[in-house]
Amino acid sequence: MTAATGGPLVEARGLSRSYRLGESVVPAVRDVSLSIAPGEFVALRGPSGSGKTTLLNLLGLLDRPDEGTVRVEGRDGEALTEEERSDLRRDRFGFVFQTFNLIPVLSAEENVAYPMALAGASAARRQERARELLAAVGLSVKLAVRPDLLSGGQRQRVAIARALANAPSIVFADEPTANLDSHTAEEILDLMRRLNAERGVAFLFATHDALVVSRARRVVTLHDGAIASDAAS
Amino acid sequence: MSSFALAWRNLVRQKRRSFLMIAVVTFGFAAFALAGGFIAQSFEGLREGTIKSVGDLQIVDRRAVGKAEEATLEYGLPDARRARALAGADPDVAAVLPRIDFVGLMTTGAKSVPFLGVGVDPGPEAAATLVPELIVSGKYLSGDGGDGVVLGTGLAAALNVKPGDRVTMMATTPDGSLNALDGIVTGLADVRIKELNDRYVAAGVGLVSRLLQSGDTVSKLVVFLKPGANEDRAAERLAKAMAAGGYPIVVRHWRELATFYEQVKLLYIGIFGFVGAVLVVIVILSAAIVMTMAVTERTREIGTLRAIGTRPSGIRTMFLAEGVVIALAGCVAGTVLALVVRAALNASGIMLPPPPGATHGMPINVKLYPLAYGAGILAMVLTMAIASYFPARRAARLPIVEALAHV
Ligand SMILES: Nc1ncnc2c1ncn2[C@@H]1O[C@H](COP(=O)(O)OP(=O)(O)O)[C@@H](O)[C@H]1O
Ligand SMILES: [Mg+2]
Repeated sequence: MTAATGGPLVEARGLSRSYRLGESVVPAVRDVSLSIAPGEFVALRGPSGSGKTTLLNLLGLLDRPDEGTVRVEGRDGEALTEEERSDLRRDRFGFVFQTFNLIPVLSAEENVAYPMALAGASAARRQERARELLAAVGLSVKLAVRPDLLSGGQRQRVAIARALANAPSIVFADEPTANLDSHTAEEILDLMRRLNAERGVAFLFATHDALVVSRARRVVTLHDGAIASDAAS
Repeated sequence: MSSFALAWRNLVRQKRRSFLMIAVVTFGFAAFALAGGFIAQSFEGLREGTIKSVGDLQIVDRRAVGKAEEATLEYGLPDARRARALAGADPDVAAVLPRIDFVGLMTTGAKSVPFLGVGVDPGPEAAATLVPELIVSGKYLSGDGGDGVVLGTGLAAALNVKPGDRVTMMATTPDGSLNALDGIVTGLADVRIKELNDRYVAAGVGLVSRLLQSGDTVSKLVVFLKPGANEDRAAERLAKAMAAGGYPIVVRHWRELATFYEQVKLLYIGIFGFVGAVLVVIVILSAAIVMTMAVTERTREIGTLRAIGTRPSGIRTMFLAEGVVIALAGCVAGTVLALVVRAALNASGIMLPPPPGATHGMPINVKLYPLAYGAGILAMVLTMAIASYFPARRAARLPIVEALAHV
């Protein structure tokens, strides 16, 4: 990544997205402008229904806005084809979900290796890096285990390792601790903080968990789909 | 991890459903391979039988093609001994059989029945054709045939004669006068086709020539080729050699002569095509249901895979691979099933009904046709790919956000 030196990693301008529910139109995100710099650790806070997931999906190029633009390292996401957006997510983004979303038929190691296979890495390289990442998240002993035999916390660790597989510049995490007990949630948060510090990868969480918010260096608050505040903490 | 390995794991995950789908393909494939083999074998039998009755090639006067003679031997080949020698000189020719076609009336004094006669050279005729094998009582003609005649069983019954009895044949000679000659019944043949059985008479060319007062003229020469000979090239050479010898002839192929062969072939292909179409529809419908269920069940997984960077084409490939893996697994199991069924059928001794135009059935004997198995694999893989295509395309086109939110 040589482009965008000092520039924003992800930059949203005037994003709006609404859903059609029968006759009515529900605005989920309204005129949001937001910019994330490399290496940031940002919480996106707001009550349920405030538009966090919708905004995260737009910033992560999983969805397209009705209005506005998302630029990733200077490239306009709207100008890209589905294939190009897929490749960009594969190479520059990581995703962590509330429900972990591991591939059930793949072992922990294979789950982590999957995005690398998509990027065309050799089998040897995939194995080496998958093992390194699983070691980094503390799961070296679970390489060959399938997700259904792992605890919630362990699954989320595998998911984080998978998100980092292709050395992304940012990881999007939608309520990553919502399905975990508070102790495990804290461990997962500490892990992400550590990876953020050690590897310089940016994190953007959608959350309404006070604990998560307390660990963030920057908190963006959404209210009814619009940004109510954006402050360092 | 390859698409196929991933497909296999996803199939193992849904054991019961995958097993059912593979079972459908297994039965479809086995039915295809067995029916295909049976039909290929029927063609082969039909072809061999046809060639045994009409020869590989026939040499006839050019004017005789597509036209009925107004008088017996009107378009015959004169100087038949020389014509036979000319044709027999070709290196690919195994045998040249003279034939004289004639009609007449057979009588025992008490009763007269019209017949269809053929004058033959008994030695080579016995060696090359099926007729001697069809003798059900008495013997086939021997030597040059002498006064001997062979009658179809139907004709013999109508005349109430048996081997050893004397019969009188009456026929019109080429110049239009009526002639009669006695013959001795040597044997009765069941020529398998009822209409012919009621009219069939065979006698040596010598006796027939005397009856018809036709000298050394025959209706045609029936040519049998050596195994492996090229039919087309042999026909060309024969036409040239005969023309050079002064005969205005054409060489006809067995296929043109046995019109019913093509009809039976079309019938078989029609039956096989119908059965095949039914099989394909069953496999496509069940596979489309199974794949649609798989896509619906794994919607969130599809959303996840798309989110982390799988292209739409990658999703499509994943589901297509599952269809193809089902097809291949079904073909492996289907091959085993087909081989077992084949062995069981061949050991059973079940009698098959007679093919069209024949009166006798045969015990079932299913040969192994690797081509039918190869075509079966191709058909099943294609069928499953087609059945998986639309569910796979739907999966590839799912909006990521909706797929991720799917519960
Ligand atoms: N697929 C959808 N169809 C209709 N309305 C939706 C859909 N997804 C979200 N919404 C609505 O958009 C608004 C924002 O939702 P969401 O982004 O999920 O908020 P959050 O993640 O903060 O809970 C809510 O009012 C929600 O009901
Ligand atoms: Mg949400």
